[in-house]
Amino acid sequence: MKKIIVYSIVGLATALSGCKKDSDFLDIPPVQVLPSETVFSDPALILSVLGDLYNRQVDFSSLDGGWRTFADFSESFPSENGSDFLVTRSGWGYGEWGTWDYGYIRDLNLFLQRMDATEVSTKITAGDKARFLAEGRFLRANYYFEMVKRMGGVPLIIEPMQYDYKGDPTYLQRPRAKEAEIYDFVISEAEEIKNDLPANLADKSRATKAAALAMESRAALYAGSIAKYGATTPTVSLSTGEVGIAASQANGYYTIALRAANEIIDQSAGTVSLYRALPDLEENFAAIFLDKSSVNQESIFIEDFKAFAGKTHGFTTNDQPYSRSDEGGDAGRLNPSLNLVEQFELLNGTFAPLPIGTSASRIAYNNQEDLFAGRDARLRGTILVPGAYFKSGQLKIKAGEITSAGTIVTTDASGGSLVGTDGPVNGLEFRTQTGFYIRKWLDPQTGSGRRGRGSDVAFIRYRFGEVLLNAAEAAFELGQPAVAAGFMNQVRERAGITTPLTAADINFDRIVHERRVELAFEGHILFDYKRWRIADKVWNGDATSYSDIINNLGKATAKSTQPWGLWPYRVQDGANAGKWIYIETKPSRVTGVNRFQLGNYYSAIGDDIRAANPTIVRQPNQ
Amino acid sequence: MKTLSRFFLHNFAFAALPFLRQKKLLYLLTLFLISAVHLSAQDAARVTVTGVVKDSVGAPLPQVTVTEKGTSNATSTGADGRFTLQVASDHSILVFSSIGYSASEIRVGSRRDFDVPLQIANNGLGEVVVVGYGTKTKQSITGAVSSVSSRDLDRVHAASTVSSTLAGKLPGVTFRMPDGRPGASARIQIRNMGTPLYVIDGIQQDEGQFNNLAPNDIESITILKDASAAIYGVRAANGVVVVTTKKGSTGRNTINFDGYAGIQNWTRFPKVLNNSYDYMRYRAEAEINSNGNTNITEEELEKYKQGESAGKQYRSFDWSKYVLQKNATQNSVNLNINGGNDKVNYYVSATNLYQNSVLGREYKFNRSNLQSNVQAKVANGLRMGVQINGRIETRQNPGVPGGDDYWLSRFAVLRNTPRERPWANDNPKYLNDLGEHLETNYAFLNETISGKLKSEWRVLQANYTLEWQVPGIKGLNLRGMYSYYIADHLLNNQEYTYDAYTYHEDTDVYERTGGATNPWREREQTKLINTNTQVQANYNRTFGEHTIGATVVAERMNNKRFYNWLHASPISNNLPLIYFPTMDQYNDQQSEIARIGYIGRFNYGFANRYFLEISARRDASSLFEPSRRVGYFPGASAGWRITEEPFMKKLLGGSDILNDLKLRGSYGELGDDRNLDGGDIVAPYAYMEGYNYNMGTAIINGNAVTVSRDKGVPITRITWMTSKITDVGLDFALFRSRLAGSFDWFNRKRDGIVGNKNDVLVPIEIGYSLPQENIESDAVKGFEFSLNWNDQIGDVRYNVGGNFSYARQRTLSTYNPLFFNSWDQYFNDRRDRYSGGNWNDKNGGGDWGYEVIGQFQSMEEINNYTVNIDGLGNKTLLPGDLIYKDINNDGKIDSYDMRRVGYGTGRLPFINFGFTLGAAYKAFDFHIDFSGASGYTYNQNWEMRWAFQNNGNLNKIFEDRWHKVNPYDPNSAWVAGKYPALRYNQGGHSNYNRNSTFWLHNVTYLRARTIELGYTVSSKILSRVKMQRARFYLNAYNLFSFDNLKQYNIDPEIQDDNGLQFPQNKILNAGVNLSF
Repeated sequence: MKKIIVYSIVGLATALSGCKKDSDFLDIPPVQVLPSETVFSDPALILSVLGDLYNRQVDFSSLDGGWRTFADFSESFPSENGSDFLVTRSGWGYGEWGTWDYGYIRDLNLFLQRMDATEVSTKITAGDKARFLAEGRFLRANYYFEMVKRMGGVPLIIEPMQYDYKGDPTYLQRPRAKEAEIYDFVISEAEEIKNDLPANLADKSRATKAAALAMESRAALYAGSIAKYGATTPTVSLSTGEVGIAASQANGYYTIALRAANEIIDQSAGTVSLYRALPDLEENFAAIFLDKSSVNQESIFIEDFKAFAGKTHGFTTNDQPYSRSDEGGDAGRLNPSLNLVEQFELLNGTFAPLPIGTSASRIAYNNQEDLFAGRDARLRGTILVPGAYFKSGQLKIKAGEITSAGTIVTTDASGGSLVGTDGPVNGLEFRTQTGFYIRKWLDPQTGSGRRGRGSDVAFIRYRFGEVLLNAAEAAFELGQPAVAAGFMNQVRERAGITTPLTAADINFDRIVHERRVELAFEGHILFDYKRWRIADKVWNGDATSYSDIINNLGKATAKSTQPWGLWPYRVQDGANAGKWIYIETKPSRVTGVNRFQLGNYYSAIGDDIRAANPTIVRQPNQ
Repeated sequence: MKTLSRFFLHNFAFAALPFLRQKKLLYLLTLFLISAVHLSAQDAARVTVTGVVKDSVGAPLPQVTVTEKGTSNATSTGADGRFTLQVASDHSILVFSSIGYSASEIRVGSRRDFDVPLQIANNGLGEVVVVGYGTKTKQSITGAVSSVSSRDLDRVHAASTVSSTLAGKLPGVTFRMPDGRPGASARIQIRNMGTPLYVIDGIQQDEGQFNNLAPNDIESITILKDASAAIYGVRAANGVVVVTTKKGSTGRNTINFDGYAGIQNWTRFPKVLNNSYDYMRYRAEAEINSNGNTNITEEELEKYKQGESAGKQYRSFDWSKYVLQKNATQNSVNLNINGGNDKVNYYVSATNLYQNSVLGREYKFNRSNLQSNVQAKVANGLRMGVQINGRIETRQNPGVPGGDDYWLSRFAVLRNTPRERPWANDNPKYLNDLGEHLETNYAFLNETISGKLKSEWRVLQANYTLEWQVPGIKGLNLRGMYSYYIADHLLNNQEYTYDAYTYHEDTDVYERTGGATNPWREREQTKLINTNTQVQANYNRTFGEHTIGATVVAERMNNKRFYNWLHASPISNNLPLIYFPTMDQYNDQQSEIARIGYIGRFNYGFANRYFLEISARRDASSLFEPSRRVGYFPGASAGWRITEEPFMKKLLGGSDILNDLKLRGSYGELGDDRNLDGGDIVAPYAYMEGYNYNMGTAIINGNAVTVSRDKGVPITRITWMTSKITDVGLDFALFRSRLAGSFDWFNRKRDGIVGNKNDVLVPIEIGYSLPQENIESDAVKGFEFSLNWNDQIGDVRYNVGGNFSYARQRTLSTYNPLFFNSWDQYFNDRRDRYSGGNWNDKNGGGDWGYEVIGQFQSMEEINNYTVNIDGLGNKTLLPGDLIYKDINNDGKIDSYDMRRVGYGTGRLPFINFGFTLGAAYKAFDFHIDFSGASGYTYNQNWEMRWAFQNNGNLNKIFEDRWHKVNPYDPNSAWVAGKYPALRYNQGGHSNYNRNSTFWLHNVTYLRARTIELGYTVSSKILSRVKMQRARFYLNAYNLFSFDNLKQYNIDPEIQDDNGLQFPQNKILNAGVNLSF
């Protein structure tokens, strides 16, 4: 009996092991997991890891990150019912704009550690290795810059950390660095790596010397203005320096900003120039953001996309004009506000409200676009106004008809004989509700507005136009207004403005205004207004009236708390029959008022983060 | 096939002769030859017996197993009840057994022809039951086991899958069938323990393979509910469903034909308004209640009342009539041939099932099954078996935008208003542009306009078994089995571009104003390849009153999955194939898991009175880090038949009150490498360091680069989850065995559920979270019982039976629970709470809500009410609105006023019951089966909760509402109703924006599953047409139901909050069983 069992067990075990040992049977080689040694011995795989690190860069507004961040701050109106909250709320939560992605930092640090340990071989030359390392450091510095913009000083971790399971994690708790220390880190990293990176712009999707310098110039400018303008909001600081920078450091940072910008301007990081390819300046300005060929020497560092290759974005699908949509009802979410439209100067460089007349006597125009003639080319390069063309079709923006007696005849459906297919109708989503559509970044390629295909317009993170404005601002702050005027005039001349600024014209309002119109919808406005400490004044929580908009053009601190629109109507009868008049309109869904509190200057650090690391101090005013 | 046969030989060489190495195959063959010679020499002395097996009223019984006792020499009866068997000598004993019948033993003696009556197993104890790696009579079973035979399953002609036939049939099976579309399956579990393991003819299989067997081919289904499942080991921790398919019978060959055809209609579905006047007047009322005014004037309403005579725009359209087409057909035909002699027997069967649906005729399901089971005696003591089964399963419907292609058609019924019409100007050449409602315009949801979807599964499985009675050692046999399973899934979906038009009456122009320009073409392919090798030694022998049994098994399983998916945007609807330039996405996956188990089991029985079983397993799974792969899991069970005790016999003194009484108990531990949802407990290769490839695409220098990401810190600390199942049971038979029943109490405690440790709080800045570990525990506790009564009054045989089960899951412990305050603990603590009762329930619970203590009766009551119900000082409230209980008495209603109000909306019921009534009189037979459940929740939400949800039509339940006599008159009096006053699509209102006892319903139902009346033609008539059997029947399924969801027009088993799930069907069938 016992014998039988023993024999059977031995027999069975032999039977199975005859084929394969248990451990061999269970050890299944993986197909999608690559061991680190394999990765770091093959440049193609290193690039594959680096590609992921490039993909994970955090931008405030990005083309694949949704359209909503573009639609905030009263610079536009969100025409999607689910996004109403942008105009019905009264300000922002303290947690907004926060970022704390130390998983990304860890992967960057792991990459640098493993790359650093890689031996130079015939497959990986010393030059390759230096460039890979420099790219990793660039991405890490760029993300620390993104964090300091939003959070102030953060724990500066530059090596991968690992818990030892011994029960006491205090050795892993790193306190927040000073805000200035993070900026210093970004600046010094840029300086250390810039010569390991290519001094040409052959591949703008990877870090270059120019990209490192552009980052350095922007970071130093931010640090300088926080040091200088932080004085106007003294409570927005912590005595231990995690938030706020001493005023005495301002000049130092501005000097760095100017020097780094000049290093690009003097072509020592590769050939760069403002984009001037097209004779029509409006078309030319729009093309900066569409032209990915080598003709475009303005873009410096981009996030690239490619149709039918696995990486596209839905910006065009979301924001294309309704009547030109490739995708039925998917369109029209981002409607620029009148607040922004009014900011564009006349070609002679003076401010003037759009001449629409008064409610008593409206000015009538033969063609819709006549109202916008003779303006800064950036207006129609950035925004599709009534009467504009997109994808070879004229937009149908018409709020209704009006009798000579002033009676408005309209309906609540778009696309009939009364209201244009593109709107505007109060509350009717996916059609404009301000009278305007976005043009910047909008892809004119056939099919780019389809959900399935998507658009491959690249997002420009750094461009030469901004570098010039960085230089101008730094020069102005360093007391060199003539130098500043020179830089600014380059940008303004490209926009068709005929009268150059003189040194006397340069003031803080001019600096702020130029960035607002040149860099609209590029993700700058929030951080610019924060570093100048004017966010709490511009978004002060008081309702905005039409006269608030037209009476304070070009004023840096003029309030802009609610997005307004400008609706075109066709005159039905009388002398002006068939002509167009415009009526300023606040879309009915705009019921909230933007209020930027002092506690909004730095995003809240989550309770979970502070519970896990008690050395992290809270933000001020929260 | 070549590889297959090589594998087969390779493995069986070892299975049959484990002491030999492969090179000694020659030796093996020699041995076979010797055995064969031996066999023919013995044949001379053998005797051939024949006979017929009948039931108590003399009807022939098919599928009865006839075994020569103590050997594996066996056959089974044909459709006419006849059998032929060669036995060793006159001293042999024949054992007749069949599931559902008492076994009977007869000594051969001098007789050669037998007429054997078999009694229905009143007491259930003589019944033969399939248990792990073998069969047993029920009286010797020590574990909690229930089974159901083909005789019960064959009556159910309901949905298309096997799971749907099990409602109420087995004590311990929890059942819910929320969706009833063609090809749908029910959700079943054993004792609510989680996804069970399915074992089909000895091979572990997935749920899909189980569900799509042809019901005709199933001989029996057994569920193992306690430690008796342990023998199936790896993944048996949630119970095992064991399926045995039919085998051939020796004797004459039989051809069976089974066919039925039927019509299906939805049990219940929400009803909507079908007339524009009603729609407009309710809408006006709702708008006045929401905003105080409406654009719909009374004059306008008057025109709607007149209808078309007032103008075209005042017509009505009945969408539910347009979308839902009654009496969808279904049919099934099965043809099987079986037979054999003492050397070879076979069962070959083909089945086709077709199901259509009431969502128009383009939504359908078709399945063809083939099953071929062949057994052969290749030499004396050596039997070989080959089972091959295959199926093609096809689901076809229009290619429809969105995830579930059945959704838009159902949604159309509730969303489209009677004012909207499918065609522009009613001209069927032009699809009407319904604007926001365009995609629910049912006119486009067909294969011509919206596209085509076809999903096909093709499955082939081959099992080879070899069984060798070891010569010289009586009672020892060796068995080897090799199984190869390949399943192939191909899904092709093309969603077309299309145009929608607006008709301009003034100009008589059809303008294209909408549609889709974005074509969607996808193809998905999956291949599953599972192999399973088992070698097994069994020893069974009786020495006087002692019976000893031992089983040793070694098994290896390997499951591979290959998957790819691609997407393209074809340039034309007329291109059914995919071309590279239009392709823009491609996703490729591959995975593999291997498991190894070694099992030992020992049985001992004494005098048919005491039974003991001990088992142990050693399991290894490739998922775990190599040093943590192995787990050891023991189990033991015992039974005591008290009525076999001499003292008991003396006590009963031959009285017929208590015929049988058995006490049994079991305890066992089982390992599980799955998590609570049935997925892998830890991702494959989680223990390795490295980079995951294919984590997206970056465009670098204009080229697409597939990117890689560090896979994170290795997870090395996870191992087996352990289930500990205790079961105590009682089986009994009373009153001349006419009443039989059993009772079980059980407790399944489970340790090692993965969770996060929280006592060490590592800074988030380290960039990763600490991996999970095996730290939590839960339990399922419950009981079940069944009772059956069988008797005969004159010519009427009848049986009445029922069963009831209770099984409820509860979390036992979580790791170091931390709470900020007592409310946090009340809300979030999972410990010692029933699952489904807390927000962060891992099994999807969360039925917390507010208690509604009434409805406001007047404006005055609202004005005087001190608790702030709506957060806005009650200014949005009207008479009829819900009054929430202010539990914490702080004067306002907020999340602190919630309490637990449900059992879990997505869960299976924790109470299940069924009962059955059967009767037969002469040629007629009648059956009615009921099943029911309780202890689960339905949450009335969305379309079922507020009026005009999504700007759609009005659900008719809201007609019973609070309203004013004249909505246009602000001073008009309020009339009471069931629902709050109508609002126009105001889901944010305090009535609707929170779950409450008003909207959550704890469901109880009892529904008539199968009602069948059959007529069997008498054998006298049949013999003239050379037929063995002919039976005709009428059959109804889901004919009626008693439940508390009827008032909402929804099926009681529904799960979707919005009530728009595809409900179960009410089915009427007519069928025939013929045997030749």
